[in-house]
Amino acid sequence: MVSAAYIANTGIICAIGNDTQACLQSLRDNRHGIGKAKYLKTFWADEIPVAEVKATNEQLAAMTGVNSNWPRTALLSAIAVQEALQPFAEKIKGLRTGFFSANTVGGMDLTEAVYKNIKENIEQVDINNYKSHECGAVTQLVADAFGLDGFVTTISTACSSSANSIMMAAQMIENGMLDVAIAGGADSLSRFTLNGFNTLMILDRQLCQPFDNNRRGLNLGEGAGYILLMSKRAVEQCGASPIATVSGYANANDAYHQTASSPEGIGNKLAMGNAMKKAELQPADINYINLHGTGTANNDSSEGKAVEAIFEENVPMASSTKAYTGHTLGAAAGVEAVFSILSIQHGMVYPNLRWESQMEDVRFTPVTELKEGLDIKHVLSNSFGFGGNCSSLIFSKCS
Amino acid sequence: MMNLYLHSAGIISPVGGNKDADFPATPSADKGRFFCKEPDYTGLIPPMQLRRMSKVVRTGIAASRISMHAAGIEKPDAISIGTAMGCLQDTEVFLTKMVEQEEQMLTPTAFIQSTHNTVSGQIALLCGCNGHNLTFVQRGHSFEHALINAQLYLQDHRGEKMLVGGIDELTDNSYKALSQAGIYSNDTIAGEGAGFFIASDQPNTGRNILLNDLLCFTAKNTEEALKKVEGFIACHSSTVEIDTLIAGRNGDKAMDTFYNRVSSIIAPANEINFKDKCGEYPTASAFAIGLLLSKAADNSAMKHVVMINHFKHYYSCWLLQVV
Repeated sequence: MVSAAYIANTGIICAIGNDTQACLQSLRDNRHGIGKAKYLKTFWADEIPVAEVKATNEQLAAMTGVNSNWPRTALLSAIAVQEALQPFAEKIKGLRTGFFSANTVGGMDLTEAVYKNIKENIEQVDINNYKSHECGAVTQLVADAFGLDGFVTTISTACSSSANSIMMAAQMIENGMLDVAIAGGADSLSRFTLNGFNTLMILDRQLCQPFDNNRRGLNLGEGAGYILLMSKRAVEQCGASPIATVSGYANANDAYHQTASSPEGIGNKLAMGNAMKKAELQPADINYINLHGTGTANNDSSEGKAVEAIFEENVPMASSTKAYTGHTLGAAAGVEAVFSILSIQHGMVYPNLRWESQMEDVRFTPVTELKEGLDIKHVLSNSFGFGGNCSSLIFSKCS
Repeated sequence: MMNLYLHSAGIISPVGGNKDADFPATPSADKGRFFCKEPDYTGLIPPMQLRRMSKVVRTGIAASRISMHAAGIEKPDAISIGTAMGCLQDTEVFLTKMVEQEEQMLTPTAFIQSTHNTVSGQIALLCGCNGHNLTFVQRGHSFEHALINAQLYLQDHRGEKMLVGGIDELTDNSYKALSQAGIYSNDTIAGEGAGFFIASDQPNTGRNILLNDLLCFTAKNTEEALKKVEGFIACHSSTVEIDTLIAGRNGDKAMDTFYNRVSSIIAPANEINFKDKCGEYPTASAFAIGLLLSKAADNSAMKHVVMINHFKHYYSCWLLQVV
């Protein structure tokens, strides 16, 4: 290994805040961001709560000065990238910088609005509504806006997407292939995803209750989360004060079902176990697990069993922050990477909001109240998705 | 970076698959489009499952199966796939119903199969592969990035066998939209295909393609691209004698000028074009690797190969060695 992958900064926007400080405050104040859809125009607005970023596309565009005709996912991505990059934008000039993004929805929010016309009368449709439909097009818009012309990639592995973009970025820093990397992901709400998840009957009609025995499903959310990674040399050159490193990562596949997790969480166990192996850590070293914890019957049961298989009777403090942010899909691991780093930085563990009753098939209880003044050295963050994709990341405090 | 060997091709393309050695046929264009000549799926995909699969899923799974058979393995240790467009057909099915039925009475099948990682997930599911599994969606660099990921993975997992592939499908609506967006020039034929290989840090018996270097970049214009290509060639031409050029000519006259210039710089003994066989699509370089493996099987004069490819303003430069 040429260098560890140091985390120099974070950038985030989601239902509980438009930047890192705002999100930290909401986490401290137990303030979730889930409610009736205001910006997403859908038949289901009154029935299915969502965790929206509280701004119109025009307002989002104004935050970075980009064009408001971009897909909403790109607008969200640009805001979080800007925050992560801004303090070092000048200092990283001349360094080999990569951009690793992830999303699942691409420009679907624009495509779905004009799709009928694309099929029937494409000449009448403004090309801006579908030319950024691809997931990779969203990444490219943001890369171009910030002059990121080095290695630029997009990963799409459903709900684990941005864990994998962080993993790959860390690998390329460790191998000396890059000096700096911005890694994470973004996803906006769209009618396509809302209706898709609705057909699977896994959307909660109320506020979600992850890891609760009476959980009813997930709430969809939107947002973007990125971390700024640097090699040791880049840290020194930029005068950065890194908070933590990406010390472990692993990607595995459940190979059980296209959308459901195996009852015993085969892929989850492999991802967590291999990430700890990579970080050269034992289960007892982990201080906090940021659970995937979507709130569906299936996920929380599989994940809970996998956690118990690895940590046995000594499950560390664990909570799902999706009760705050909803499930932001391709952005989830990016958003939760930022929360994991904040946990290390501020010595705090977030409550698993709205938890009421112990799950019958899982013995451990998530953290239910904000804990502060802790020494958090190692955080394990889980992200599992459709297609059996399971990824775990470990963030470790810089000593 | 470490050595990456590619072998055991599984190809489904507009000129057929592996059985059509050297892909001799010229496909016939259907309104400016080349569609895959699909194989008899018997023995590749169970019939019950085949019925539910869209084109990109069935061609992807079948091509991965052919590759694994060729390598003599039941399942790979890990999977790394590139697809710029993902599962268009299923996306369109769900989107159409959602729009026409105004968000009512929808069913989940098409939605489930519309996610970009459907093919990699289905391959893992069908062969029980619990290993690393990634899907790259970076437009004209999707397959290239899947290979860079293979290098990163195999560096930490020496001796393992990773399934790598590039897949994209063409549909009526995507063709309409992409044409309108100016992706295809007048003489460019749109294409599609699935190309899979086994990647490892050790060569397999039989022909292998060794990936010596891979440079991906975007360029605003062909002059800028040419400068980068010249740099790439200059970097390698002092150490290896390049005998073969694979060129991503796609029928676009403006790009012909670019490729003519590349060809005159390298002055190779052999020049291979491939988009006249597979058409233009973002992961066409996977087909080109399959074509090279096929041609190199009975041509010992091909040793050091440079491939220059583009999809729109996404360029890739490859230094390959036939071993």
